Amino acid sequence: MLGSRADAEDVTQDTFVRAWRSLDRFRAQSALNTWLYRIVTRRCLDALAARRTTEQLDAASTESAEGEPAGIVEQREQLESVKRAIAGLPADQRAALVLREFEGLSYDELADVLGTSVASIKGRLHRARLSVLRTIG
Amino acid sequence: MTTSSYDERLPCGVRVADLLAEGVDHEPASDPTHQATCPFCQSTLRRLRQDWARVEALTREPVEIPPGLIMRIMARVRTLSAQVADSVVLGGVSGETRISHVAMSRVIQHLAATAPDVVFASVQLLPHKPAHPRRLSVAIQLVVLFGPAVKPIAQGVRDRVRRRAPRLTGAELTWIDIHISDITDPLH
Repeated sequence: MLGSRADAEDVTQDTFVRAWRSLDRFRAQSALNTWLYRIVTRRCLDALAARRTTEQLDAASTESAEGEPAGIVEQREQLESVKRAIAGLPADQRAALVLREFEGLSYDELADVLGTSVASIKGRLHRARLSVLRTIG
Repeated sequence: MTTSSYDERLPCGVRVADLLAEGVDHEPASDPTHQATCPFCQSTLRRLRQDWARVEALTREPVEIPPGLIMRIMARVRTLSAQVADSVVLGGVSGETRISHVAMSRVIQHLAATAPDVVFASVQLLPHKPAHPRRLSVAIQLVVLFGPAVKPIAQGVRDRVRRRAPRLTGAELTWIDIHISDITDPLH
């Protein structure tokens, strides 16, 4: 989501601290994990918005180790190209795609976490998937 | 598949983008009769699934929790828990504000002591259990004037503290106990 391990660690820590502070406001109207996803996604989107465009993200580790089979190297390069394609998405599309494909959230849960309608989520996902496929295809 | 092919319309008239939900989300075909016999749709769906398999491969990659991350998070939460033992901790967008229980007591003591018919007030803060950064309970001892009914004086102090202390400090008061410890006659 953030493309940076250090930023991800900061956001994770901040998310749990915020959750601890706001635990009394958790009304169990949604599942605990949906509530946590909402906090962490909000924090990720804030972090992305605050990030300067010139900021260096983690370098992709596509260098091959000596003696590594060509198939493994190619597979790793393919995974890195997918990561780059996802990192190139607008923040709202990236959040929808990551929560759907990596975290397995349903459309209803996505709409709850991202505070929008299911129709809007479907639109975002369609654009995100199309964009990723165009990049890696 | 070329990078532009996802924008194209197949020779059969179907747009490649329209096959996306079917290829990626396993949704049913919008026109199964057409697809069953259309070589363009079938071949495009195959290629689409093949490309998407690379994304799915990434989603199956194990995510390692960085060493020490859980301990760092728990250490931070423990530090905050310790802080709330003697302070109210208010989180904000650009940092946190801590108000010591001493300062909180002075605010509440002033509010109680300046209420009508109150001669003297002392305050004891009771930390929330379980520990909470913003919540407190408070016990107030009052010396009040002889003459006016005691119960309305106590209720007046309670209302005044409940209304104004959160506005002045940001803390939340869950319980306000009032003990009238003495009554004084100004004429004596």
